[in-house]
Amino acid sequence: MAFASGAAHRPSTRDLAPGPRFFVCAVLSLVLMYYDQRDGWSVSIRYALQAAAYPMQVALGSPRQLWLATTEFLRSSEALRAENAQLLDRERQLSLKAMRFEALEQENARLRGLANALPPLVSRSQLADVVASDLGRLRQRLVVNKGDRQDVFRGQAAVDAAGLMGQTVRIGPWSAEIMLITDPEHAVPVEFVRTGLRTIAVGTGNSTELELPYLPVNSDVKEGDQMVTSGLGGIFPAGVPVGVITRFHRDPDQILAQVRARPAATLDHDGQVMLLWFDAAHPAAPVNPKLATELPPATVAQPVTGATP
Amino acid sequence: MSFAAPRESRLLVYVTALAALLLTLLPLPQMVSVFWPQFLVLTVLYWSTMTPHASGMLVAFLAGLMLDVLQGTQLGQHAFAMSLVAYLAIRLHLLTRAKPLFEQSLFVVAALLIYEGALWAIDGWSGRDANSWSRWLHIPTGALLWPIVAGLLGRLHAPR
Repeated sequence: MAFASGAAHRPSTRDLAPGPRFFVCAVLSLVLMYYDQRDGWSVSIRYALQAAAYPMQVALGSPRQLWLATTEFLRSSEALRAENAQLLDRERQLSLKAMRFEALEQENARLRGLANALPPLVSRSQLADVVASDLGRLRQRLVVNKGDRQDVFRGQAAVDAAGLMGQTVRIGPWSAEIMLITDPEHAVPVEFVRTGLRTIAVGTGNSTELELPYLPVNSDVKEGDQMVTSGLGGIFPAGVPVGVITRFHRDPDQILAQVRARPAATLDHDGQVMLLWFDAAHPAAPVNPKLATELPPATVAQPVTGATP
Repeated sequence: MSFAAPRESRLLVYVTALAALLLTLLPLPQMVSVFWPQFLVLTVLYWSTMTPHASGMLVAFLAGLMLDVLQGTQLGQHAFAMSLVAYLAIRLHLLTRAKPLFEQSLFVVAALLIYEGALWAIDGWSGRDANSWSRWLHIPTGALLWPIVAGLLGRLHAPR
């Protein structure tokens, strides 16, 4: 029976010889690659496939989620009480800071000659759960469970409580892929708080390290210097903490210094991500959010070869 | 070697490919994930070698496409590498099928090298970061695990 059906199937078109079959597959994948490189119609194919892939991503993320939930459940009440006290303390400090901040903001608006106080910078924010993470040397990405249906757009800024995490690069119906600032393809325009010096921080493929490959050896940078986003580039707003310089090495033979930084956000063990929508009228908002959605993601800044080890 | 019932074994191929896809993408600590074998390629190799008529290159292509979407690589990159490996395995199945498992592992090394080489070339051409040596480290583990993978899959489709 089995043999008969097998034999009957043999001459049908379904069983093309391996050669032609491979030819078809190869041509198909080459065409896909060609258009994917140029963001052609393959975006919609990817969108559909991403919807199909979402259950798999959830399944892949589930062991981690389960582990997080279990450890959360097993924490003792004393630990929770201690944490609660700590959080209350922090909340008090933060609200004090916020009071001062509001006064400063009004003063700033007056000084700039603006008639009324500025609208809030972040017009909307949304927490998203991390369902999958890929923190390898070649890619530093997270997949979160909010997508097109929740108005998530491409090139959207993602932060955690401590600082900048990255930007969305691919949007599915219910999921979005976030390229972290430590992805080797990612670059973020930054500014030093102490000196106002502007440069670009590039990912290294290690989720606890950033590289600053474009600083000349004579630039005024010290270990421990804080970096915030400069607001250039049209994706991130100005003033979000990015990281702290951990290593500044001057090699007299070279034009550029070797600079490393530690990201402010805890990229490797965040369970949740905050996605932000900005009020375009605010001066600290990204240059043009509309532009940002149309541009290819502001990523590709290749480090100068030979300048860094 | 008898012909397996096509429909049944096709289903088995799809199910095991899905399992292997999930196994390949399992989130792991970096120290482990560098050496983590590409189970999907091993599975595609197995089915292409053992049931060259039933297992489709289509499965390899679709599985590669899913890998592209899940890993966020260039759409078609893994699909191409995967169907290339499947094609070679189908073409050479008479050569490799009857060999002892240890010897098959050598063919697996060759297949994995071709697979990773194709990915590497595409990464390079499309302007991605391609010069990390750690991408090749899954090849020895994959070859070492081949006897286990082949044994398990063999048990599934033809209980002897």
